[in-house]
Amino acid sequence: MLEARLEQANVLKKVVEAIKDLVQDCNFDCNDSGIALQAMDNSHVALVSMLLSSAAFAPYRCDRNIALGINLGSLTKVLKAAGTEDWLTIKAEDAPDVVNLVFETKDADRISEYDIKLMDIDQEHLGIPETDYAATITMPSVEFQRICRDLSALSESVSIECSKEGVKFACQGDIGSGSVFLKQIEKVDKPNETVKIEMTEPVSLTFSLKYLVNFCKATGLSGTVQLSLSSEVPLLVQYDLQDQSYLRFYLAPKIGDEE
Amino acid sequence: MARTRSNPAKTVTKESTPEPTPSTIKPLPTSTANPPKLFVLPKNTSTDARIVTLDNPANGTPSRYYFCPANGFYEFTRIAAPKKDCRSWLLTGEKSEYGNTNTSAEEQSTRIGSGYITNSADLLIATPIDTLFLILPALAPKSAKDMKQHFLAFDDYLDMLASSSSHWKALLSQCPTLKTMVEKRMCVICDTVDAGLETMYRISTSKLLDVLVKKAERMVQHGLPPSLEEKFIKTALDVPVLNIKREESTLSATSITETGTTDGGADKDSTTTSTESQISLETTITTPTDDFDIPLKPTLATPPEILHLLRLRTSLTYLSTSYLPTSFLPSITSALKPRFTPLETHLAAITTLKSEAFALRSISDNMSRKRSIEEDDDRVAEREQKKRKKEEEDKKKKQEGRGIKQLKKVDTSGMKKMSSFFTKVAKKA
Repeated sequence: MLEARLEQANVLKKVVEAIKDLVQDCNFDCNDSGIALQAMDNSHVALVSMLLSSAAFAPYRCDRNIALGINLGSLTKVLKAAGTEDWLTIKAEDAPDVVNLVFETKDADRISEYDIKLMDIDQEHLGIPETDYAATITMPSVEFQRICRDLSALSESVSIECSKEGVKFACQGDIGSGSVFLKQIEKVDKPNETVKIEMTEPVSLTFSLKYLVNFCKATGLSGTVQLSLSSEVPLLVQYDLQDQSYLRFYLAPKIGDEE
Repeated sequence: MARTRSNPAKTVTKESTPEPTPSTIKPLPTSTANPPKLFVLPKNTSTDARIVTLDNPANGTPSRYYFCPANGFYEFTRIAAPKKDCRSWLLTGEKSEYGNTNTSAEEQSTRIGSGYITNSADLLIATPIDTLFLILPALAPKSAKDMKQHFLAFDDYLDMLASSSSHWKALLSQCPTLKTMVEKRMCVICDTVDAGLETMYRISTSKLLDVLVKKAERMVQHGLPPSLEEKFIKTALDVPVLNIKREESTLSATSITETGTTDGGADKDSTTTSTESQISLETTITTPTDDFDIPLKPTLATPPEILHLLRLRTSLTYLSTSYLPTSFLPSITSALKPRFTPLETHLAAITTLKSEAFALRSISDNMSRKRSIEEDDDRVAEREQKKRKKEEEDKKKKQEGRGIKQLKKVDTSGMKKMSSFFTKVAKKA
């Protein structure tokens, strides 16, 4: 049986909020290391991978590996009933029909409890190897979100060029073109505003802006975002959560027909 | 007003009276039992020309012919207005000579002289007929058995003709020219043997066939009458368009039934008319083609020789059914067969096409028809299932977030699937 208590319901809320526009239904795989999720969008060009490690929960108990097939829309509805500061407890039997969610206010005055029916979801599970990327950019998540939004007004896709000087997001559209160049900058006092580039070689890749904008819904989860690029492999957009938890998005680059 | 007045005028056959003024009371004369008929007779006929009753060569029934000692025989063709059309002839006296000759009553000239309206709008036209056809019955083998006929003297044949009808007898005795006329025509279609002073004759099918074919060729050369052309050539060579087969096949169906009815009708008509007056009807013109009629289907890629063959066959059929004694038909038909083999194959091909089209049509018809009761259960269940599925999908779609919907619109060309970057792993239990 599974029983996991999250100190802040907000985390799960935001995670679900961030991915519900990418996938509809997905399995939450629960094992003793934590609750993991991997799913692809409908056209299979993007992948989301999430881990809420057991360390994020207190307490965390999972006797057997359980896959909780949940419709994210339903989960969102239930999570809306939770206050941001509520304690959230996830409970499930070993062979569950439902997942049980309990929200408790901090002072334990109010306890609300919801059951969500589970579904059987047959999903491919992809093995994602550890990759040494040619470039990894760490930047404020808000900045990334803004760049994506601004450029998506102009074009469908953005090219991300990473060099020693900095990173350039450029796009060309029907009405014209635009680009944002971020220099590498270190702000000791405000680590969230740091732009850091670690690279072994310059890279330039093109990506669909709509997908990137979609990924940016996770902005609220973390102050910084990491973009990892290598030619011919998917872009990794990673939001680090507390306690070794993370939310990762992978997006296939656009190859060939660069306008 | 005008209407009420014209109605009685049509029903009562009356003399064309002067404007009926209310003051003069003049009773209409009763219609005569033997009303005059309107004929169109050939010009330049001798004064000895007369109307005779002879056996129709094709069906053996007595029919009227117009005989002129100089020019030979004429047959009558009646041109009639359709029954529904109320038509009549107004005859006035000036050209009364013809009326005289037809209808033996003397006083008729006076009757016509004051003008006359005939009830029936028939027009009888005399057209030349080859004497050949009229003597054929005498030449024909008496029964199917003695196909091997003996050669007979010319006089024997004349006797045979004379015995067949009294008019022949009278004509032969009164008209010396007729004998030579008959003999000339007989030479054309008979094998002859000289036996001493006399020449002996025997009908020859091949010669007869040659004559017929020549006549048919001429007919084709001048172009078939439009009614024949339309019915037996155009329709016959119509190739069904498989996509639109419905039209095609109804057409073929009606054409078949039509031929059937006209055949029957024509026969009846010709017998009735022959007793009552004479003449082969206008309808007989379209009758022909008893034996070939049905598979008349046309073609897009009709080779010209096929077209010619079909026309030839149509006219031959017409000739043989209209003028040949039935005893000749089998031999003539079989003799013609090899000539028309390409035509037959072509028509057969069209027939298969048509039947295919027809079959297709019935299939598509069935589909468009309302479902029958017995399929209902299955169908309903099936539809229910479909509906449920659709509803489910709809529901799912509705649940889809806005973001997901928008991502669906993204142009993912040039983007590889994730599975091409990452390998699949079996899911841990």
